[in-house]
Amino acid sequence: MTSETVEKDEELSINSNVLDSDDEEDDLFKDWSSIAKLSKSQAVVPKRGDKDYEPDGTNAQELLLYRAKKAMFDSISDAARGTVVKNQIKAYYVPQCHRAFIPHPRGNFMHTMGKVDRNGTCWLTFNEFVYLAERGTITPYFKRSDRESHELDPLLSIQDLYLLFKTAQETDEFAVFAHLKRLGFIVISSQLTPKSESADIPHTDVKKGFRQGLSTLTKAIFTFFPVPTYHPLQYHLTRYTTSSQIYEALKNLVPYYAAPKTMHDLEKDKYVTKFEGDDHEFTFDVWKPRGTFKKKVPGPPDFQLLVFNKNSSDCTFPTYAEIKQRFRSVRSKYEGSLTQAHTASSPGSKEVGKAVKRLNPYIEQQRRLKRGYRSFILAVMDDGLISFVKLTESDFGSEDVWFKTSGKTSKERSGPAQPKRRNAKNSINKQIPQTPPTSKNLPAET
Amino acid sequence: MPKYVPNVKYYKYPLPIHPLDNLPELVLHNPISWVFWLYSYVSSTNLLPSKVHVKFSSGKHITVADPDEMLYLWRNGFFGTAQLSRSEPTWKERTLNRLGLLESSRALEHVTEQRRLQRLEFKRERANFEAVKRELRHQGVEESEITNQERKFLQSLREQETQDQETTTTDVQFREADAELFDDNNKIVDLEVLELMPVEAMFLTFALPVLDLPAHSLARSLVGNNPSYADINDLCTKYAAYHHYRSHGWCVRSGIKFGCDFLLYKRGPPFHHAEFGIMVLNSDDSMDYTWYASSARVVGGAKKSFILCYVELLIPREEALLLWQQGKFARLFASYKMGEVMYRRWVPGKNRD
Repeated sequence: MTSETVEKDEELSINSNVLDSDDEEDDLFKDWSSIAKLSKSQAVVPKRGDKDYEPDGTNAQELLLYRAKKAMFDSISDAARGTVVKNQIKAYYVPQCHRAFIPHPRGNFMHTMGKVDRNGTCWLTFNEFVYLAERGTITPYFKRSDRESHELDPLLSIQDLYLLFKTAQETDEFAVFAHLKRLGFIVISSQLTPKSESADIPHTDVKKGFRQGLSTLTKAIFTFFPVPTYHPLQYHLTRYTTSSQIYEALKNLVPYYAAPKTMHDLEKDKYVTKFEGDDHEFTFDVWKPRGTFKKKVPGPPDFQLLVFNKNSSDCTFPTYAEIKQRFRSVRSKYEGSLTQAHTASSPGSKEVGKAVKRLNPYIEQQRRLKRGYRSFILAVMDDGLISFVKLTESDFGSEDVWFKTSGKTSKERSGPAQPKRRNAKNSINKQIPQTPPTSKNLPAET
Repeated sequence: MPKYVPNVKYYKYPLPIHPLDNLPELVLHNPISWVFWLYSYVSSTNLLPSKVHVKFSSGKHITVADPDEMLYLWRNGFFGTAQLSRSEPTWKERTLNRLGLLESSRALEHVTEQRRLQRLEFKRERANFEAVKRELRHQGVEESEITNQERKFLQSLREQETQDQETTTTDVQFREADAELFDDNNKIVDLEVLELMPVEAMFLTFALPVLDLPAHSLARSLVGNNPSYADINDLCTKYAAYHHYRSHGWCVRSGIKFGCDFLLYKRGPPFHHAEFGIMVLNSDDSMDYTWYASSARVVGGAKKSFILCYVELLIPREEALLLWQQGKFARLFASYKMGEVMYRRWVPGKNRD
C-alpha cells in the first residue's frame, strides 16, 4: 500500500492522467491545461493538440509505461480464480423451454436476474444463463429429459452454450445483453418486465375525443389553405408591423408532427397504439445500476433498447412510421421536459420541474430542442461490434426561435425581453457542455 | 467583443421583407395622431421598392449580380452564397484590401486567416519546445524543472501573442493578373455574384415577394416543363423542410460542409454557431446503417445535433404533381408533413450515472 501511494505522488508530478484509461471520448483534460492550472497566471492557455505520448526514447517515459503495465498485470494475475466446490451453483438447461433453472439458488445476481417459482427454484432466461456461465457464477449442465435426478446430466462448456442459441438474432441480443451487464446495467427482456399498468383513461371518450381532435385539426389545416398569405395581393392588403407577424403568417403553411408535451397527451398517444394493436415490444429494458432495484417492482426503465443487425436482410433501419410507433410504445422514464401540468402529476420528476420553473424561457426552449422528448436506443450489431444510437423525438414545429427586435412597435411585447435575451444567450453557451477534443494522450497500456 | 455592436445594426432584420417599424407614435388622446398614424399605415408598405433581379446563369445557377442586392440578401436573413467568398460577398473588399486600396479590413475571411496564422505559429513554437523538453529528459533533468520550463515557455508565448495583436501588418500584394480587374476609369470591376440555393430562391419568390422571378417560372426552370413526380420530389421535400425551419425563425443555410442538407442557425452565422444539422428524408426512407452513422459522425464531430427530418406526403403523388403543374404551390407544400427525430450516438459508459 505504501509503495503505491509513493508511486502515485511521483506520477502526479509528471502526469496525472497516465493511468486513466477510458474510452476514446472520456473527458480527460490535457496535461497542458493541468500545467496551466499550476501557473496561476490569468493568461488563457490555448488547448494543445492530441498525442504527446508517442515514444520519445527517454527512461522517464519507459518507466511510466512499465508501471502502468505492471499495475494492470498485477491486478489480473494476483486474484485467485475458480470456484469452491461447496459454493458451486449448478444450473440446468432445459431444452424444451429454452431456459435454465437453479435448484438451490443463492448469490447476488438474484437481485437483478432470474425468477423464483413456488418451489424455490430459480428460472433463468437463456441470456442470463449464458452470461452467468461465462462469468463463472454458475456451472452449466444440460438437463436430460429422461431422468429426474441430476447426477448424469452432462456438464456444458461455454462453446456448447453458444451452440444452443436458436437464431442469429438471439446471438446478437445476447452480445448486447452481456455487454450492458458487464458494464453494470440492469437488463431485463422487455417481454418479461412486469408492467405497471398505467392509469386507465376512460377509453371510449378518449378515443372519440382524440379522433375528433384529429379531424378538427386536419380540417383546420385544410381550411387554412386559402389564407391570403401566398396570394399575389397579400402585401397590398396587409401590413406587418413586426417581423414576428411576418413569421406568424409564414409558419402555418407546412404541417408537422408535434410531440406530446403533457402526461395526458402521452397517455392518449399510447392509447392509440393499444387501440390499433401495433404495440411493439423492445428487446431489452435497461436500468442504470442501483442498489434499490426490485425485480418485482422495477419501475419504469431508464432506457429501452432495440437490437438490430446491420447485415441481416430482414432488419432495416426503421422508417419514420416505425420509429413513431416505437415512440408510442416507449415505457422508459421520460427525459424530455414536460409542461408544468405533467411535472406536478408525477412526483418522481418534481424536483426537476421546480428547477425548470425558475429558468428563463429561452433556456427552457433550448433545452427542449436539444433534449427532445420520448426516446429509445438502437443497438446496431455489425459482425460482433455493437454501436448504440439514441433516437429521440424532436419537435421544431412547436418552437419559434426568431429574434425579437426591440423596434418601437414591438416594445411592449418584446422590448423588456431584450436584455434578458442577451443573458439567456450567455448562459446557454455555458450550459452546453463543451466537450473537450478527444483525448488521445495515451495511456501507457498501448 | 466590439464586433458585436455592428452586427446588431447590420443584421437588424431577419427577413428581406421589413416590418413597418417607423410608424409614428399613436397618442390615444390626440385624434390628429390617429389620422397621421392611419395615413402612415396606409401609405407605407412592406413591399420592396423594386424586386431583386435574379437570372439563371449557365444552366441552373440562380444568381444575383447587383452588389447592393447581394448585400441586401445577405444582411437580411443570410440568403445565398457569394461565389468568390466564403458566404458573404466580400471579394471586392478583400481585393481592394489586398491591393492596398482600402483602409480597414473587417472581412470574416481575414479574421479567420489571421487566426490560422497565429495557430500555425503556436504549433511551430510548441514543436520547438517539445524538442527542448525531450532534450532535458535525456539529460535527466527533474520533471518539476521541466514543468517549470514549460510554464515559462507558455507565458512567453502568451506575451508574444498579445504583442502580435497590437501590430497587425497589412501587406500589399499585387499580381500581374490584377491589372485585368480594373476598368477604363481605373475602378475595380466586381466579378462576384451571389448564388441562391433553389429552395432559397423558391422561398424568396413564393413565400416572400423579393425576387423578380415568379414562382412558376422558377419551378419550370428548375425541373423542366413536364416533370414526373420523381423529378419534383426532391425539390418539394427540401423546400417544405426549408420553409418549415425558416418560418419558425431559424436561419437555414446549406449543410454541405457538414455532409447534411441544412444547418440551422439562431439569428445567423455571425451570431452563433449552427446548432443543428438537418438531413431531409422521405418518411419511408430506410438507408443502410452506415449512411446514418457516417452522417451523424460528421455532424456530431462539429458539435451539432443531428436531426433526421422526415417529410411525409399526405396526398397521392399524382395529385401533388398536378398541384405543381397548376402552380398551386401553397397547397402543394402544405401537403408535406414534417416529423423530426434526433439521432445521437449513445455511449453506455457515459449514461451510467
